[in-house]
Amino acid sequence: MIEVKNLTKKYGDRTAINNLSFSVAKGEILGFLGQNGAGKTTTMKILTGFMPASSGSISIGGFDVFESPIDVKKRIGYLPENPPVYPELLVVEYLSFVADLRGIKETEKRRNIDRVIERCNLGDVRRRLIGNLSKGYRQRVGLAQALIHEPEVLILDEPTVGLDPKQVTEARGLIKSLRSEKTVIYSTHILSEVAATCDRIIVIDRGHIVAQEAINPMGAAGGLVKTEVVVRKVGEELKSKLTSLPGVKGVVVSSNGANRLVIETEAKEEVIAQVSKTIVDSDAGLIKMSPVQQALEEYYLSLITGKGGTPL
Amino acid sequence: MRGAVAILKKEMRSYFFSPVAYVILGVFLFIMGVIFAKFVDIYQRFNSVQRFGSGQGITLDKLATYLYQNMAFILCFVTPFLTMRLYAEEKRQQTFELLFTAPLRKFELVLGKFLAAYSLMLFMVGVSFIYILFMILWGNPELPIVGSTYLGLLLALACYISLGGLISAMTSSQAIAAIWTFIVLLLLWLLQSLGQGISAKTGFIEWGPLLVYLSPLGHFNSFSEGLIHLKDLVYFLSFTLLTLYFTYCVVESNRWR
Repeated sequence: MIEVKNLTKKYGDRTAINNLSFSVAKGEILGFLGQNGAGKTTTMKILTGFMPASSGSISIGGFDVFESPIDVKKRIGYLPENPPVYPELLVVEYLSFVADLRGIKETEKRRNIDRVIERCNLGDVRRRLIGNLSKGYRQRVGLAQALIHEPEVLILDEPTVGLDPKQVTEARGLIKSLRSEKTVIYSTHILSEVAATCDRIIVIDRGHIVAQEAINPMGAAGGLVKTEVVVRKVGEELKSKLTSLPGVKGVVVSSNGANRLVIETEAKEEVIAQVSKTIVDSDAGLIKMSPVQQALEEYYLSLITGKGGTPL
Repeated sequence: MRGAVAILKKEMRSYFFSPVAYVILGVFLFIMGVIFAKFVDIYQRFNSVQRFGSGQGITLDKLATYLYQNMAFILCFVTPFLTMRLYAEEKRQQTFELLFTAPLRKFELVLGKFLAAYSLMLFMVGVSFIYILFMILWGNPELPIVGSTYLGLLLALACYISLGGLISAMTSSQAIAAIWTFIVLLLLWLLQSLGQGISAKTGFIEWGPLLVYLSPLGHFNSFSEGLIHLKDLVYFLSFTLLTLYFTYCVVESNRWR
């Protein structure tokens, strides 16, 4: 669906992004991860045709962004970092204006506006001035704007910044509900968000792609996950039994206590199930078993600090 | 063209959201009213002088001419208020990102914005037709001259508005856009009197007549005297189109930074 090749953007002497290449399949949700200033926003602005690149090519849905920008723009919904709303318009007026800009037919306009208002939960504020809305509502109006023409591709630049926890959950739910229906590129620097919503992540740092990983079903990057197990007593027998299980890559005693084990396994539910069964059967006295949540954070930090570190 | 209409509609909504449009309209009509009353007063005094048999008085159509020459000048002050926010505000609110990622062609944007400010301006000038109505009711102004004056006004205002738009596209501050628009318009008017005093020549360029030609004042004056010259039409139209084209270029160049 989206094919980016050797994309480079320079602002004067400063290189904002350098030789980026990646592709996104139809129906995939791609998380774009990186520190502030890593080049996420620049990449997105170029993808949407807002800004030209210094070199490289992008094709979206078979159309080249630089050669047929209008065809590409018709297929993209874009929510910039700051929602591009007019404070002097009512929510419905604004959406109607965007529908006009998008060339939506008068007969379908009403229906499309009602649909996005419902989808983004804007029913209560449809006749309020955007200038009087809270940040969370403005963000949702911005999202409604990006969805109004039912685009195939959705590009969202930090869509959950400034939202309260309840709204963040709602926004993530909304983005997840778009899975398989739309192709989504989504930038953020909140890692748990990536784990919760994305199929795949691209980590960029100072304009370079430093990693591309699929997010596995256990919510971590790469093919492996770590699970922490707390048992009443750890014996060598249990350790060797666990190590010999198919799919288990390593068993170490945790630094947090002698009765804690950290088990590194393939990210498959069967493997985890087998591990738990083995522990229970061994009479070691299972107290607690939990996935190591920090996995993605550690991985990410190791990438951007350049200390190497194995993908988890 | 659909994009241009969408922009036009949105701009109109923005104008009438704040009281600014109403205030400008009110103040403009008040000032024009004062000037009109003053002129009628002068006209009557001249007439009474004439009646006692001493030379020439001013005629009613001269009155209309003076009125409109003043109006064309006063509208220089009005223009910045209508044009300052056109592009500067989009830039400040970062809504260009919406406009440029929609399937909207840039000339539609420029055209829509121009038409919005222009039609509001024409509405204002249209309301001032009430003074002509008074003249028709209680006198007999020469209607062809009134017609050509309105044509001149129409053309001159297109220049004002497009120039204001261009300046607004170059900044993200409404205040700066307003001030510069006013300064540039005033300078353009002053070129007329500036040029008349200059007899310098560089090669075959005569600076005096060149400056006079560049000022809209002389071109407008011939309209208000009932003369429709092709050169004046060409001046106003090329001025407007060129300024709109420059606006297009400035808007386009914003993307490259």
